[in-house]
Amino acid sequence: MAVTPIAPDAPDAGVDAGFAAGLDVAQAAAQAGALNAALAAALTTASRELPYPDGRPGRFLDAGAVTELAQRFGLAPRRVEIAALAAAICPLRYARNLRAFTLAEQARLLGSKAALIGLGGLGGGLLENLVRAGVGVIHAADGDVFEETNLNRQLLSRLDALGRPKAALAAERAAAVNPSVEFVATAAFLDRAGMETLLTDAQVAVDALGGLKDRGALVAAAAGLGLPLVTGAVAGYTAIVATVLPGAPSPADLFGGGGTGPAAEDVLGCPSPAVMAVAALQAAEVIRLLAGRPPALAGKALLIDLETMRFDTVAL
Amino acid sequence: MPIDLKCYATLAPLTPDNASAFPLKDGETVRALAERLTIPVDEIKIVFVNGQAAELDRVLADGDRIGLFPPVGGG
Repeated sequence: MAVTPIAPDAPDAGVDAGFAAGLDVAQAAAQAGALNAALAAALTTASRELPYPDGRPGRFLDAGAVTELAQRFGLAPRRVEIAALAAAICPLRYARNLRAFTLAEQARLLGSKAALIGLGGLGGGLLENLVRAGVGVIHAADGDVFEETNLNRQLLSRLDALGRPKAALAAERAAAVNPSVEFVATAAFLDRAGMETLLTDAQVAVDALGGLKDRGALVAAAAGLGLPLVTGAVAGYTAIVATVLPGAPSPADLFGGGGTGPAAEDVLGCPSPAVMAVAALQAAEVIRLLAGRPPALAGKALLIDLETMRFDTVAL
Repeated sequence: MPIDLKCYATLAPLTPDNASAFPLKDGETVRALAERLTIPVDEIKIVFVNGQAAELDRVLADGDRIGLFPPVGGG
């Protein structure tokens, strides 16, 4: 089963702006060229040379310069970062990604979109990872508000935010950590149609739902759009992470509606280390896909027991 | 050579003491093994044997590495 190819959208926003102003194609192209030349010159002026920790020479652009150039050129901040990366200038905030992602992969991340369903325990950890990695567009949904029982594991929950929508806290966190990420959160529980809308134009669907009830709808929505789905779930110190390609078996399918008794997570709970570990493992897979690399867990499930620290990768 | 058996989540308390070297009966299937250990078969949603998903009717062999996984949905 092929994964939908990931094509970062064009960095020369000047062309679109030209059309919006009613210019013809030649004028728009000329204007875009002039804009790109002016931006390239400004990027060189605003950036500075520094060595990477391994001694390689590097050129870096700090967050203040990204904001200033975005305002000066009327561009979204991530467009400035993509242009910088194309000129071998690394936004300073990504400098410590070093060789984990190439500059081209970093640009590709900034040109990508992830759809994140759920902003609770898994979703909060995933959002943190994806925002810091510089995933350019993240559309998320969760209709819940924070309550005190979330505090044991949910990164976005705070004592002073009880009763507030998870979507609102997520938006605040994303903006505070990385304003280059275009984050849109919907404060609603989505049905399959709503999920399909959220997943439109994304390259990866991310399952951060709690419980098994809605997971089948998300598997169907992602498959219908031809998107890979990165899924994870926890009960106590047991966890599962998997990547589901369209039409392939998913843990949600295998679990069905659950067992005959109470759900495992309602018996064993959702402790923070298990939730954070799964969110991090899902994030690694999501970022790998958005960077244009093949998934590591396609057709497989990673079964985890943190009690014994045993990890098994199983072909489904 | 005995089998290595791993029971996850709510199935973990039913793990036998000698799970890492559990003696198999001749021709025993996953289902028969689970019934012998009073593990509720309806709760087993993923069976894996030597890193591959398997059916409950899979006949086990000495040295097999087996995992029994119930439905897990928390986040």
